[in-house]
Amino acid sequence: MSRPELTGHASLFYNEKEARKYDSSSRMIGVQREITERAVELLRLDDSKPSLVLDIGCGSGLSGQVLEERGHVWLGCDVSRDMLTVAKEHEEDTKVLQSTGDLMHHDMGSGLPFRPATFDACISISALQWLCYSNSAAQNPRKRLTRFFSSLYTVLKRGGRAVLQFYPETAEQAVLISETATKVGFAGGVVVDYPNSAKAKKHYLVLSFDRSLAPRRGALGTAEQDQKQQHVTVGEALGSNKGKKQPPRKKKGIKTKEWILHKKDAQRTKGKDVRPDTKYTARRRRGKF
Amino acid sequence: MRILTHNYLQSNVKGTEKGYPLLIEPNRVVVEESPVNLSMLQTLLPKLDYSAIVQAARQLATYEDANEAFTVPDLPDLLPETLDDLFLTALYKFLFDLHVIEGHLVCPDTGRKFPIKEGVPNMILHEDEL
Repeated sequence: MSRPELTGHASLFYNEKEARKYDSSSRMIGVQREITERAVELLRLDDSKPSLVLDIGCGSGLSGQVLEERGHVWLGCDVSRDMLTVAKEHEEDTKVLQSTGDLMHHDMGSGLPFRPATFDACISISALQWLCYSNSAAQNPRKRLTRFFSSLYTVLKRGGRAVLQFYPETAEQAVLISETATKVGFAGGVVVDYPNSAKAKKHYLVLSFDRSLAPRRGALGTAEQDQKQQHVTVGEALGSNKGKKQPPRKKKGIKTKEWILHKKDAQRTKGKDVRPDTKYTARRRRGKF
Repeated sequence: MRILTHNYLQSNVKGTEKGYPLLIEPNRVVVEESPVNLSMLQTLLPKLDYSAIVQAARQLATYEDANEAFTVPDLPDLLPETLDDLFLTALYKFLFDLHVIEGHLVCPDTGRKFPIKEGVPNMILHEDEL
Protein backbone atom coordinates (compact mmCIF):
# COMPACT_ATOMS: atom_id res chain seq x y z
CA MET A 1 0.00 0.00 0.00
CA SER A 2 1.31 3.46 -0.74
CA ARG A 3 1.71 5.77 2.18
CA PRO A 4 -1.16 8.25 2.65
CA GLU A 5 1.32 10.68 4.22
CA LEU A 6 2.76 11.34 0.77
CA THR A 7 -0.55 12.42 -0.72
CA GLY A 8 -0.94 15.65 1.22
CA HIS A 9 -2.24 17.03 4.45
CA ALA A 10 -3.93 14.69 6.94
CA SER A 11 -7.09 16.75 6.98
CA LEU A 12 -7.32 16.36 3.21
CA PHE A 13 -6.62 12.65 3.19
CA TYR A 14 -9.09 11.82 5.93
CA ASN A 15 -12.06 13.36 4.17
CA GLU A 16 -15.61 12.28 4.81
CA LYS A 17 -15.39 9.19 2.59
CA GLU A 18 -12.06 8.06 4.03
CA ALA A 19 -13.22 8.72 7.59
CA ARG A 20 -16.31 6.55 7.12
CA LYS A 21 -14.27 3.82 5.46
CA TYR A 22 -11.78 3.93 8.31
CA ASP A 23 -14.48 3.73 10.91
CA SER A 24 -16.48 0.92 9.33
CA SER A 25 -13.58 -1.38 8.46
CA SER A 26 -13.55 -4.12 11.05
CA ARG A 27 -9.94 -4.94 10.24
CA MET A 28 -8.92 -1.35 10.91
CA ILE A 29 -10.89 -1.28 14.14
CA GLY A 30 -9.27 -4.52 15.26
CA VAL A 31 -5.75 -3.31 14.50
CA GLN A 32 -6.29 0.08 16.12
CA ARG A 33 -7.77 -1.53 19.19
CA GLU A 34 -4.90 -3.93 19.57
CA ILE A 35 -2.36 -1.13 19.24
CA THR A 36 -4.23 1.01 21.75
CA GLU A 37 -4.35 -1.79 24.28
CA ARG A 38 -0.64 -2.32 23.91
CA ALA A 39 -0.02 1.43 24.23
CA VAL A 40 -2.14 1.63 27.38
CA GLU A 41 -0.18 -1.31 28.76
CA LEU A 42 3.04 0.62 28.11
CA LEU A 43 1.56 3.70 29.81
CA ARG A 44 1.31 1.74 33.06
CA LEU A 45 -1.72 3.72 34.24
CA ASP A 46 -3.29 3.03 37.56
CA ASP A 47 -6.66 1.60 36.53
CA SER A 48 -8.10 1.92 40.02
CA LYS A 49 -8.44 5.68 39.74
CA PRO A 50 -9.31 7.78 36.72
CA SER A 51 -6.50 9.58 34.94
CA LEU A 52 -6.74 12.40 32.45
CA VAL A 53 -5.34 11.23 29.14
CA LEU A 54 -4.62 13.28 26.05
CA ASP A 55 -5.26 11.42 22.79
CA ILE A 56 -3.40 13.01 19.89
CA GLY A 57 -4.76 12.11 16.49
CA CYS A 58 -7.82 10.49 18.05
CA GLY A 59 -9.52 10.07 14.68
CA SER A 60 -12.94 8.55 15.10
CA GLY A 61 -12.33 7.89 18.77
CA LEU A 62 -11.40 4.20 18.60
CA SER A 63 -8.53 4.67 21.03
CA GLY A 64 -10.73 6.72 23.32
CA GLN A 65 -13.11 3.78 23.67
CA VAL A 66 -10.33 1.63 25.12
CA LEU A 67 -9.45 4.35 27.62
CA GLU A 68 -13.10 4.76 28.54
CA GLU A 69 -13.50 1.06 29.25
CA ARG A 70 -10.69 1.40 31.76
CA GLY A 71 -12.43 4.33 33.43
CA HIS A 72 -10.17 7.16 32.31
CA VAL A 73 -11.14 10.63 31.20
CA TRP A 74 -9.74 11.52 27.82
CA LEU A 75 -9.48 14.51 25.57
CA GLY A 76 -8.94 13.84 21.90
CA CYS A 77 -7.61 16.14 19.26
CA ASP A 78 -7.36 15.57 15.53
CA VAL A 79 -6.59 17.66 12.49
CA SER A 80 -9.32 16.08 10.36
CA ARG A 81 -12.71 17.65 10.86
CA ASP A 82 -14.48 14.74 9.15
CA MET A 83 -12.90 12.23 11.52
CA LEU A 84 -14.16 14.29 14.46
CA THR A 85 -17.64 14.35 12.99
CA VAL A 86 -17.62 10.55 12.90
CA ALA A 87 -16.32 10.51 16.48
CA LYS A 88 -19.10 12.85 17.54
CA GLU A 89 -21.69 10.54 16.01
CA HIS A 90 -20.21 7.66 17.95
CA GLU A 91 -20.57 9.56 21.15
CA GLU A 92 -24.21 10.13 20.38
CA ASP A 93 -24.76 6.45 19.58
CA THR A 94 -23.29 5.31 22.88
CA LYS A 95 -25.13 7.81 24.98
CA VAL A 96 -26.23 5.05 27.32
CA LEU A 97 -22.65 4.55 28.40
CA GLN A 98 -22.02 8.28 28.54
CA SER A 99 -18.64 9.00 27.06
CA THR A 100 -16.00 10.50 29.30
CA GLY A 101 -14.15 11.94 26.35
CA ASP A 102 -14.23 15.30 24.71
CA LEU A 103 -12.95 16.39 21.32
CA MET A 104 -11.17 19.30 19.80
CA HIS A 105 -9.92 20.26 16.38
CA HIS A 106 -6.22 20.90 16.37
CA ASP A 107 -2.97 20.46 14.46
CA MET A 108 -0.34 18.93 16.72
CA GLY A 109 2.48 20.45 14.70
CA SER A 110 1.60 23.92 15.96
CA GLY A 111 2.00 23.05 19.62
CA LEU A 112 -0.60 21.87 22.11
CA PRO A 113 -2.95 24.55 23.47
CA PHE A 114 -3.19 23.45 27.10
CA ARG A 115 -2.33 24.67 30.54
CA PRO A 116 1.05 23.35 31.80
CA ALA A 117 1.11 20.06 33.70
CA THR A 118 -2.48 19.15 32.85
CA PHE A 119 -2.40 15.56 31.66
CA ASP A 120 -1.48 12.40 33.53
CA ALA A 121 -0.62 10.64 30.31
CA CYS A 122 -0.63 11.02 26.57
CA ILE A 123 -1.42 8.49 23.89
CA SER A 124 -1.21 8.73 20.14
CA ILE A 125 -2.03 5.99 17.67
CA SER A 126 -0.68 6.05 14.11
CA ALA A 127 -0.41 9.80 13.89
CA LEU A 128 3.11 10.96 14.64
CA GLN A 129 4.55 10.07 11.24
CA TRP A 130 2.37 12.76 9.65
CA LEU A 131 4.65 15.35 11.24
CA CYS A 132 7.59 14.13 9.16
CA TYR A 133 6.08 15.46 5.95
CA SER A 134 5.64 19.06 4.98
CA ASN A 135 2.76 20.17 2.84
CA SER A 136 3.73 23.76 2.31
CA ALA A 137 6.91 25.77 2.10
CA ALA A 138 6.29 27.18 5.56
CA GLN A 139 6.16 23.76 7.19
CA ASN A 140 9.45 22.43 8.41
CA PRO A 141 9.14 18.87 9.78
CA ARG A 142 11.96 19.31 12.26
CA LYS A 143 10.47 22.54 13.55
CA ARG A 144 6.99 21.05 13.79
CA LEU A 145 8.31 18.01 15.66
CA THR A 146 10.23 20.21 18.08
CA ARG A 147 7.21 22.40 18.66
CA PHE A 148 5.05 19.36 19.28
CA PHE A 149 7.41 17.64 21.69
CA SER A 150 8.28 20.75 23.66
CA SER A 151 4.59 21.57 24.13
CA LEU A 152 3.94 17.95 25.10
CA TYR A 153 6.70 18.28 27.68
CA THR A 154 4.89 21.26 29.22
CA VAL A 155 1.36 19.88 29.24
CA LEU A 156 2.31 16.52 30.76
CA LYS A 157 2.33 16.25 34.52
CA ARG A 158 5.75 15.48 35.99
CA GLY A 159 5.95 11.73 36.36
CA GLY A 160 3.51 11.25 33.50
CA ARG A 161 4.17 9.09 30.48
CA ALA A 162 3.47 9.37 26.81
CA VAL A 163 3.20 6.44 24.43
CA LEU A 164 3.08 7.37 20.77
CA GLN A 165 2.70 4.64 18.18
CA PHE A 166 3.84 5.59 14.70
CA TYR A 167 4.73 4.14 11.32
CA PRO A 168 8.12 5.44 10.23
CA GLU A 169 8.73 5.27 6.49
CA THR A 170 12.46 4.93 6.95
CA ALA A 171 14.85 4.32 9.81
CA GLU A 172 15.90 7.98 9.58
CA GLN A 173 12.36 9.07 10.40
CA ALA A 174 12.32 6.97 13.54
CA VAL A 175 15.68 8.46 14.51
CA LEU A 176 14.50 12.01 13.76
CA ILE A 177 11.40 11.55 15.90
CA SER A 178 13.11 10.00 18.90
CA GLU A 179 16.02 12.41 18.63
CA THR A 180 13.69 15.41 18.76
CA ALA A 181 11.90 13.98 21.77
CA THR A 182 15.19 13.47 23.59
CA LYS A 183 16.34 16.97 22.78
CA VAL A 184 13.39 18.67 24.46
CA GLY A 185 14.20 16.75 27.64
CA PHE A 186 12.23 13.53 27.51
CA ALA A 187 13.69 10.24 28.66
CA GLY A 188 12.72 7.02 26.98
CA GLY A 189 13.01 5.38 23.62
CA VAL A 190 11.37 3.34 20.92
CA VAL A 191 9.81 -0.07 21.62
CA VAL A 192 9.44 -2.23 18.53
CA ASP A 193 6.87 -5.03 18.54
CA TYR A 194 7.18 -7.90 16.05
CA PRO A 195 10.47 -6.59 14.63
CA ASN A 196 10.80 -9.58 12.30
CA SER A 197 7.51 -9.04 10.50
CA ALA A 198 7.20 -6.32 7.89
CA LYS A 199 3.44 -6.06 8.29
CA ALA A 200 2.87 -6.51 12.00
CA LYS A 201 5.90 -4.44 13.01
CA LYS A 202 4.88 -1.59 15.31
CA HIS A 203 6.94 1.27 16.70
CA TYR A 204 6.02 2.77 20.05
CA LEU A 205 7.81 5.84 21.29
CA VAL A 206 7.66 5.65 25.06
CA LEU A 207 8.45 8.94 26.76
CA SER A 208 8.74 9.76 30.44
CA PHE A 209 10.44 12.14 32.81
CA ASP A 210 12.06 9.23 34.56
CA ARG A 211 15.82 9.52 34.44
CA SER A 212 16.54 6.59 36.73
CA LEU A 213 17.94 4.86 33.68
CA ALA A 214 20.81 7.07 32.66
CA PRO A 215 20.53 8.28 29.06
CA ARG A 216 22.80 6.60 26.59
CA ARG A 217 26.09 8.40 26.22
CA GLY A 218 25.77 10.98 23.49
CA ALA A 219 21.98 10.94 23.63
CA LEU A 220 21.96 14.59 24.63
CA GLY A 221 24.91 15.59 22.50
CA THR A 222 24.92 17.53 19.30
CA ALA A 223 23.18 16.20 16.23
CA GLU A 224 26.48 15.35 14.64
CA GLN A 225 27.55 13.27 17.60
CA ASP A 226 24.20 11.60 17.67
CA GLN A 227 24.44 10.65 14.06
CA LYS A 228 27.86 9.13 14.60
CA GLN A 229 26.53 7.14 17.50
CA GLN A 230 23.52 5.98 15.51
CA HIS A 231 25.76 4.92 12.69
CA VAL A 232 27.80 2.68 14.94
CA THR A 233 24.79 1.04 16.51
CA VAL A 234 23.26 0.35 13.14
CA GLY A 235 26.53 -1.10 11.89
CA GLU A 236 26.84 -3.38 14.88
CA ALA A 237 23.27 -4.48 14.55
CA LEU A 238 24.00 -5.66 11.04
CA GLY A 239 27.00 -7.61 12.25
CA SER A 240 29.59 -5.64 10.34
CA ASN A 241 32.31 -3.36 11.63
CA LYS A 242 31.61 -0.39 9.41
CA GLY A 243 32.48 2.89 11.00
CA LYS A 244 34.82 1.36 13.56
CA LYS A 245 38.34 1.63 12.21
CA GLN A 246 40.49 -1.42 12.83
CA PRO A 247 44.25 -1.07 13.11
CA PRO A 248 45.86 -1.86 9.75
CA ARG A 249 46.71 -5.55 9.55
CA LYS A 250 50.43 -6.30 9.37
CA LYS A 251 51.18 -7.82 6.02
CA LYS A 252 52.19 -11.40 6.55
CA GLY A 253 54.83 -12.92 4.32
CA ILE A 254 53.20 -15.33 1.94
CA LYS A 255 55.88 -18.00 1.92
CA THR A 256 56.19 -18.73 5.60
CA LYS A 257 57.79 -21.89 6.92
CA GLU A 258 54.39 -23.44 7.71
CA TRP A 259 53.18 -22.72 4.22
CA ILE A 260 56.21 -24.33 2.61
CA LEU A 261 56.04 -27.38 4.86
CA HIS A 262 52.35 -27.74 4.13
CA LYS A 263 52.93 -27.43 0.43
CA LYS A 264 55.75 -29.98 0.44
CA ASP A 265 53.53 -32.35 2.40
CA ALA A 266 50.75 -31.93 -0.14
CA GLN A 267 53.13 -32.66 -3.02
CA ARG A 268 54.46 -35.71 -1.22
CA THR A 269 50.96 -37.17 -0.81
CA LYS A 270 50.48 -36.71 -4.53
CA GLY A 271 53.50 -38.95 -4.97
CA LYS A 272 55.84 -36.33 -6.34
CA ASP A 273 59.56 -36.24 -5.69
CA VAL A 274 60.08 -33.71 -2.89
CA ARG A 275 63.26 -32.76 -1.09
CA PRO A 276 63.29 -33.88 2.53
CA ASP A 277 62.56 -31.35 5.33
CA THR A 278 65.79 -30.20 6.93
CA LYS A 279 66.90 -27.33 9.14
CA TYR A 280 67.61 -25.42 5.92
CA THR A 281 64.02 -25.63 4.72
CA ALA A 282 62.48 -22.15 4.34
CA ARG A 283 65.50 -20.53 5.81
CA ARG A 284 66.25 -17.04 4.49
CA ARG A 285 69.26 -16.61 2.31
CA ARG A 286 72.11 -14.49 3.41
CA GLY A 287 71.74 -10.89 2.38
CA LYS A 288 73.58 -9.90 -0.81
CA PHE A 289 76.45 -7.55 -0.65
CA MET B 1 -17.22 21.04 24.44
CA ARG B 2 -17.45 20.44 28.15
CA ILE B 3 -16.60 23.09 30.71
CA LEU B 4 -14.04 20.57 31.97
CA THR B 5 -12.23 20.83 28.64
CA HIS B 6 -12.41 24.60 28.77
CA ASN B 7 -10.51 24.42 32.04
CA TYR B 8 -7.52 22.88 30.29
CA LEU B 9 -7.49 24.92 27.10
CA GLN B 10 -5.08 27.76 26.67
CA SER B 11 -4.39 30.03 23.76
CA ASN B 12 -0.98 29.75 22.11
CA VAL B 13 -1.29 32.60 19.63
CA LYS B 14 1.88 34.59 19.05
CA GLY B 15 2.01 37.50 21.44
CA THR B 16 0.00 36.03 24.30
CA GLU B 17 1.42 36.25 27.74
CA LYS B 18 -0.74 33.74 29.51
CA GLY B 19 -3.68 33.05 27.24
CA TYR B 20 -5.65 31.62 30.11
CA PRO B 21 -8.52 31.30 30.93
CA LEU B 22 -10.27 31.63 27.58
CA LEU B 23 -13.48 33.62 27.52
CA ILE B 24 -16.60 31.74 26.46
CA GLU B 25 -19.06 33.32 24.08
CA PRO B 26 -21.81 30.71 23.81
CA ASN B 27 -24.43 30.64 21.09
CA ARG B 28 -25.95 27.27 21.88
CA VAL B 29 -25.55 25.21 25.05
CA VAL B 30 -26.99 21.75 25.64
CA VAL B 31 -27.36 19.73 28.81
CA GLU B 32 -26.72 16.01 28.64
CA GLU B 33 -27.44 14.28 31.90
CA SER B 34 -24.84 11.75 32.94
CA PRO B 35 -24.48 9.61 36.06
CA VAL B 36 -22.69 11.64 38.71
CA ASN B 37 -19.28 10.18 39.52
CA LEU B 38 -17.96 12.02 42.56
CA SER B 39 -14.82 9.95 43.01
CA MET B 40 -13.80 10.84 39.48
CA LEU B 41 -14.35 14.52 40.21
CA GLN B 42 -12.35 14.31 43.40
CA THR B 43 -9.33 12.86 41.64
CA LEU B 44 -9.56 15.51 38.93
CA LEU B 45 -10.23 18.43 41.25
CA PRO B 46 -6.64 19.14 42.40
CA LYS B 47 -5.63 19.68 38.79
CA LEU B 48 -8.49 22.03 37.96
CA ASP B 49 -8.19 25.78 38.09
CA TYR B 50 -11.11 26.74 40.27
CA SER B 51 -11.04 30.45 39.46
CA ALA B 52 -11.40 29.57 35.76
CA ILE B 53 -14.49 27.48 36.59
CA VAL B 54 -16.03 30.40 38.44
CA GLN B 55 -15.27 32.71 35.55
CA ALA B 56 -16.83 30.26 33.07
CA ALA B 57 -19.92 30.02 35.27
CA ARG B 58 -20.26 33.82 35.29
CA GLN B 59 -20.00 33.99 31.51
CA LEU B 60 -22.54 31.24 31.00
CA ALA B 61 -24.87 32.82 33.54
CA THR B 62 -25.23 35.90 31.36
CA TYR B 63 -26.25 33.64 28.52
CA GLU B 64 -28.61 31.73 30.77
CA ASP B 65 -31.06 34.62 30.92
CA ALA B 66 -31.89 34.37 27.25
CA ASN B 67 -32.42 30.63 27.37
CA GLU B 68 -33.98 28.80 30.29
CA ALA B 69 -32.83 25.38 29.18
CA PHE B 70 -30.12 24.99 31.81
CA THR B 71 -28.99 26.44 35.10
CA VAL B 72 -25.54 27.46 36.12
CA PRO B 73 -24.72 26.66 39.74
CA ASP B 74 -23.99 29.52 42.08
CA LEU B 75 -20.33 28.90 42.89
CA PRO B 76 -18.46 30.62 45.71
CA ASP B 77 -15.41 32.69 44.70
CA LEU B 78 -13.01 30.43 46.51
CA LEU B 79 -13.06 26.67 46.71
CA PRO B 80 -14.68 25.80 50.06
CA GLU B 81 -12.41 23.96 52.48
CA THR B 82 -14.95 21.30 53.29
CA LEU B 83 -16.44 19.77 50.19
CA ASP B 84 -19.92 18.41 50.78
CA ASP B 85 -21.66 16.14 48.30
CA LEU B 86 -24.17 18.81 47.36
CA PHE B 87 -21.47 21.19 46.20
CA LEU B 88 -19.56 18.44 44.40
CA THR B 89 -22.66 17.23 42.59
CA ALA B 90 -23.42 20.75 41.38
CA LEU B 91 -19.82 21.14 40.26
CA TYR B 92 -19.85 17.79 38.50
CA LYS B 93 -23.01 18.63 36.63
CA PHE B 94 -21.56 21.95 35.57
CA LEU B 95 -18.26 20.47 34.38
CA PHE B 96 -19.51 17.31 32.71
CA ASP B 97 -23.12 17.82 31.66
CA LEU B 98 -23.01 21.23 30.04
CA HIS B 99 -21.88 21.15 26.41
CA VAL B 100 -21.17 24.30 24.47
CA ILE B 101 -22.30 23.32 20.97
CA GLU B 102 -21.89 26.58 19.07
CA GLY B 103 -20.01 29.72 20.00
CA HIS B 104 -16.54 31.08 20.40
CA LEU B 105 -13.59 30.88 22.73
CA VAL B 106 -11.71 34.16 22.95
CA CYS B 107 -8.08 34.60 23.89
CA PRO B 108 -7.99 37.08 26.81
CA ASP B 109 -4.75 38.73 25.63
CA THR B 110 -5.00 39.02 21.87
CA GLY B 111 -8.74 38.66 21.31
CA ARG B 112 -8.20 35.84 18.80
CA LYS B 113 -11.47 33.94 18.41
CA PHE B 114 -11.54 30.17 18.28
CA PRO B 115 -14.84 28.96 16.83
CA ILE B 116 -16.79 26.09 18.40
CA LYS B 117 -18.76 24.11 15.84
CA GLU B 118 -20.96 21.10 16.53
CA GLY B 119 -19.44 20.89 19.99
CA VAL B 120 -15.84 20.79 18.78
CA PRO B 121 -13.58 23.79 19.42
CA ASN B 122 -11.21 24.61 16.59
CA MET B 123 -7.82 25.54 18.04
CA ILE B 124 -5.92 25.43 14.75
CA LEU B 125 -3.52 28.32 14.27
CA HIS B 126 -2.16 29.62 10.99
CA GLU B 127 1.57 29.53 10.39
CA ASP B 128 1.90 33.28 10.92
CA GLU B 129 0.27 33.05 14.34
CA LEU B 130 2.93 30.77 15.79
